[in-house]
Amino acid sequence: MFNITPAVKIRLLTFILAALLFLPAGTAFAHGVEIEYTERAAIEITARYDTGGPLAGAQVAVFAPGKPAEPWLTGVCDDFGKFYFVPDPQIQGLWEVQVRLAGHGGLIRIETGESSVAPQAAVGYSTAQKAMMAAAVIWGLVGTAFFFSRRRV
Amino acid sequence: MHIPDGIISASAAIGGYAATGGLTWLSLRRIKKQYDNARNEIPRAALLTAAFFVASLIHIPLPPVSVHLVLSGLIGIMLGWFSFPAILVGLLLQAVMFQHGGLTTLGINACLMGIPALLAYYIFRLRILFGREKPFPNGLFAFTASFAAIALGATMAAFLLVYATPAYFDAAAERQAVIALSLAHLPVALIEGVFTAMVVLFLLKVKPTLLDGDRP
Repeated sequence: MFNITPAVKIRLLTFILAALLFLPAGTAFAHGVEIEYTERAAIEITARYDTGGPLAGAQVAVFAPGKPAEPWLTGVCDDFGKFYFVPDPQIQGLWEVQVRLAGHGGLIRIETGESSVAPQAAVGYSTAQKAMMAAAVIWGLVGTAFFFSRRRV
Repeated sequence: MHIPDGIISASAAIGGYAATGGLTWLSLRRIKKQYDNARNEIPRAALLTAAFFVASLIHIPLPPVSVHLVLSGLIGIMLGWFSFPAILVGLLLQAVMFQHGGLTTLGINACLMGIPALLAYYIFRLRILFGREKPFPNGLFAFTASFAAIALGATMAAFLLVYATPAYFDAAAERQAVIALSLAHLPVALIEGVFTAMVVLFLLKVKPTLLDGDRP
């Protein structure tokens, strides 16, 4: 059978030791971390009810330009109704972000690229505008009521 | 209960419009049959449309959700078959002015609030069996009609929303949120039930002819 002489034993031991020496070195090398950073423009979405409360936990789907069927990214709004994402700079155009929470929600379109202007922050009216609009509608309906209840001559 | 644009599929939106078209036609036919001069009823319909329009602007915060009054029960009781067109006009104004609801979902929303209004009308008419002059059956049926209207609307909306969740959203999370919102309508149903009963009892004393259920 195999007859291991002392000389072979020593050589084998040396080999194993050398292997052990290299092994931790290799592992340690894998722990080395390189950190780089690149500045990118991220987009912050804030979803609120028209009463001002945040849509906490609302689901978000981001659609890349020209691909309205399959979402590019999905996620969830934080407790403040906020959601952040970094659009791929290679894909420029009209991004669509859909927010949904129990049937509440909507769609916002964000233009990216050189020609883009600062994205529209919000759509909405001030309280005074809302009050004015509501008053106009009510007056229209009350006016209709008066018109049809007038005395005919 | 107002479903905004972009939440449901195009086929559901078209289906909603078809159903609303059919129900509006049916309502107008019934109005023509029921009233000798339907023009006389327009002031009442216009004023209740105004009430409906304003009611949804009054929000009741029930964390984590925010709900608002709907008044579909009261409108159904007071307007009868006029309630469907009245709600349709109110919803159109809300969608155009405040983006509350949406133009593509106008048909669906009209069904979600108009059908419960018609249900309320018929529930309230049942009080005739118990004596239309007595306050107790009037109040009880007004409460029941209004409560049922909100409950039916919220249930229909919940089924629609769960059914129409796009595949890329987490269906389980959405279902949970929808259930939470539906349960939040329970206090709304109670508040509206009490409010409607109070209005009906007041009208019964002051001007009983305003309650459409009095008509044959």
